[in-house]
Amino acid sequence: MRMKLAVSAAVLALAAGGAFAQELKFPVGEGAFNWDSFKAFDEAHNLDGQTLTIFGPWRGEDQVLAESVLAYFAAATGVTVNYSSSENYEQQIVIDTEAGSPPDVAILPQPGLIADLVRKGFVTPLGEETQAWLAENYAAGDSWVGLGSYAGADGTKALYAFPYKIDVKSLVWYVPENFEDAGYEVPETLEDLKALTEQIVADGGTPWCIGLGSGGATGWPATDWVEDMMLRTQPPEAYDQWTTNELAFNSPEVVGAIEEFGWFAKNDAFVAGGSAAVASTDFRDSPKGLFASPPQCYMHHQASFIPSFFPEGTVVGQDADFFYMPAYAGKDLGKPVLGAGTLAFITKDTEASRAFIEFLKTPIAHEVWMAQTGFLTPMKTVNADLYGDPTLKKMGEILLNSTTFRFDGSDLMPGAVGAGTFWTGMVDYVGGKSAQEVADAIQASWPK
Amino acid sequence: MDSIAGKKPALIWAVHLSVIALVLLWVVPTFGLLVSSFRTGDQISGSGWWQALSTQEQQLSPIRVAGEEAERDGAFVIEGTLFPKGGTTVSAWGTSSREPEAHAPGDTADLGEGVSLTVQADGGFVLTSPASTRDMRLPRVFTTASTPPEFTTENYSNVISSPMAGQSIGQAFLNTLTVAIPATIIPILVAAFAAYALAWMDFPGRALLVAFIVGLLVVPLQLALIPLLQFHNWIGIGKGYLGIWMAHTGFGLPLAIYLLRNYMVGLPRDIIENAKVDGATDFQIFVKIILPLSFPALASFAIFQFLWTWNDLLVALVFLGTGNDQQVLTGNLVNLMGSRGGDWEILSASAFVSIAVPLVVFFSMQRFLVRGLLAGSVK
Repeated sequence: MRMKLAVSAAVLALAAGGAFAQELKFPVGEGAFNWDSFKAFDEAHNLDGQTLTIFGPWRGEDQVLAESVLAYFAAATGVTVNYSSSENYEQQIVIDTEAGSPPDVAILPQPGLIADLVRKGFVTPLGEETQAWLAENYAAGDSWVGLGSYAGADGTKALYAFPYKIDVKSLVWYVPENFEDAGYEVPETLEDLKALTEQIVADGGTPWCIGLGSGGATGWPATDWVEDMMLRTQPPEAYDQWTTNELAFNSPEVVGAIEEFGWFAKNDAFVAGGSAAVASTDFRDSPKGLFASPPQCYMHHQASFIPSFFPEGTVVGQDADFFYMPAYAGKDLGKPVLGAGTLAFITKDTEASRAFIEFLKTPIAHEVWMAQTGFLTPMKTVNADLYGDPTLKKMGEILLNSTTFRFDGSDLMPGAVGAGTFWTGMVDYVGGKSAQEVADAIQASWPK
Repeated sequence: MDSIAGKKPALIWAVHLSVIALVLLWVVPTFGLLVSSFRTGDQISGSGWWQALSTQEQQLSPIRVAGEEAERDGAFVIEGTLFPKGGTTVSAWGTSSREPEAHAPGDTADLGEGVSLTVQADGGFVLTSPASTRDMRLPRVFTTASTPPEFTTENYSNVISSPMAGQSIGQAFLNTLTVAIPATIIPILVAAFAAYALAWMDFPGRALLVAFIVGLLVVPLQLALIPLLQFHNWIGIGKGYLGIWMAHTGFGLPLAIYLLRNYMVGLPRDIIENAKVDGATDFQIFVKIILPLSFPALASFAIFQFLWTWNDLLVALVFLGTGNDQQVLTGNLVNLMGSRGGDWEILSASAFVSIAVPLVVFFSMQRFLVRGLLAGSVK
């Protein structure tokens, strides 16, 4: 798959010769794609000669994938699409909108940041029609509408951002053959997972690889752990209140969730390298312990993107696999799933940017990417058989089987907490501070 | 006298030793980066660069048996080698993660259901099965083996010739040069005039103005990003080369004026006064006397400014834009690393690609650097 991607990327780049790729990845009319939706969109939109600048978070291989989708938009409308990204896209979009030279459409994974931009009046509302469309056509549509709705400059709440492309975070990665060699079963409940953790230690192994290192963002993988634990120990309402600080960060509910994470991460025997290595191991290097000889660890908790950091040639489904991070059988909280995703919003109201949001409503905008790799969608009208590999399909099933879907809490919180003290607090926590101490400090840093 | 003469060699030794220590401190990491740039990503995360230089024995990650199946004497056989590149010597192997060193080379392991596997010291293997292996998951082999040093130039070809999604490094190279050359020349031109005026022309408030410019040195440029871009949009130049030249000029001027003024103040007063007596105008003095004499200071500032604009990412992203055709070298290299970064092999190779031009500039102008620095700022 990798190889194929690289080759197609090179071919695309050659064909495009620096300009935007016009080659279509899948010829129109072939395969099980929803071509009718594409043709209808093609007929309804003719914007020859216009340009559309899109600013997004995808770079490198992801950028190649994103541009393969955008090529269909360009082919249908005649719009010249310029996609760009940058490493510090969070800062970049703030600078560009504040200074008055925003892109036409921006795509970001942080609802908290989008809410800031909306409050300052830089974002165009998408309208009631799009809101109704989302509620109807996305699985658990109302929660997606809620995710994209913010209070505008005048204080009225409306839909501003369109969710497109999501990642599932509640996954535990493992090597099936290592489990078979040792005779372990995939746990179905959180109680079983804890028992398995203890079992592995009793057998002389190390259960977990946990790495929080990520340069300036060091600590974020721990926030996913805490959010997952929050959903597994508290009802979803408490989770929602937590992200808005109605439920204080230092309340016993949240401290309990942090301690659940600590049960795994703060025990020297449970983590490869001991708990001292947790904060210093880079999250990109951390999963490599699964594949070492002898295995440095048996399990790794991370979102659906992590296979790109597995060793070259690893086949997901055979050499490595994942299971759903299970919930407590003893607590009646269903099967909660934590996820993240990107949201598209209009920063310059033009015909082309309106048309782009319309394009995201067509199944084809989702199918082209899902037929390749690394794309999940909650859209109900897409052809699920098109998922490029069985892994994605399995993740899609986790998503559909979930009773609760919640967005990454740290992305919903204000930047100072969600991309600041929450991260550093988690580093302090694995470094030895108590959960209460850390939670008190994070609560104190919450913007008033 | 004796005591001073006696101390000297020891002092020189101390100086030499500390120079060697400092040089090593700088060169060793660079050398490590160079070695890493010739290794694959998995090698980099698997072992340190110092281990890459000699044959190492280590437990390798499992390799899955693969190959064409052949039917022989009623059994299905797959033959092949675990190490197609050769040179690797297996000292122990196993098929279970619990016992990765269970067998010696040449042993035959029974994998159950009549399947057996033999691995030789050179990595050659024979898998024999009574039934076809087509629908079977083939076993993994854990090996403890010594591997000779292995290097690849793939990282460099990735960085130079396989552009992602329409970004080409050639275009980025040109963009960076288009940014860096004018952004070096313009501030020097402006600063030289200003420095002369501040050093040798009498006007009220001159000392205050110098203090003000020195004060500007401490203003972080991040503060100015949004207002400056707003201003560019307002006067209508928006994002583009003109904008980034002006931005770099503005950000570079305080240091440039400060360095050059300090240098020019130190020029002998006699020469300038003689010229004035002979009837030379300020402009003539500046062009004919000051500029030639200030060449070392001009050159040393040029090196500073060129290196800074060459390596800059932030100012380019803000004032030039992030599109494929506006991308500078640094932006291009960052994007090569993917959405989540962490590709060390790309990072190390691209560091050496982007370092090439600054090295040329530095070595061709370095003799001015030390002279200019000492003469200019150590007053």
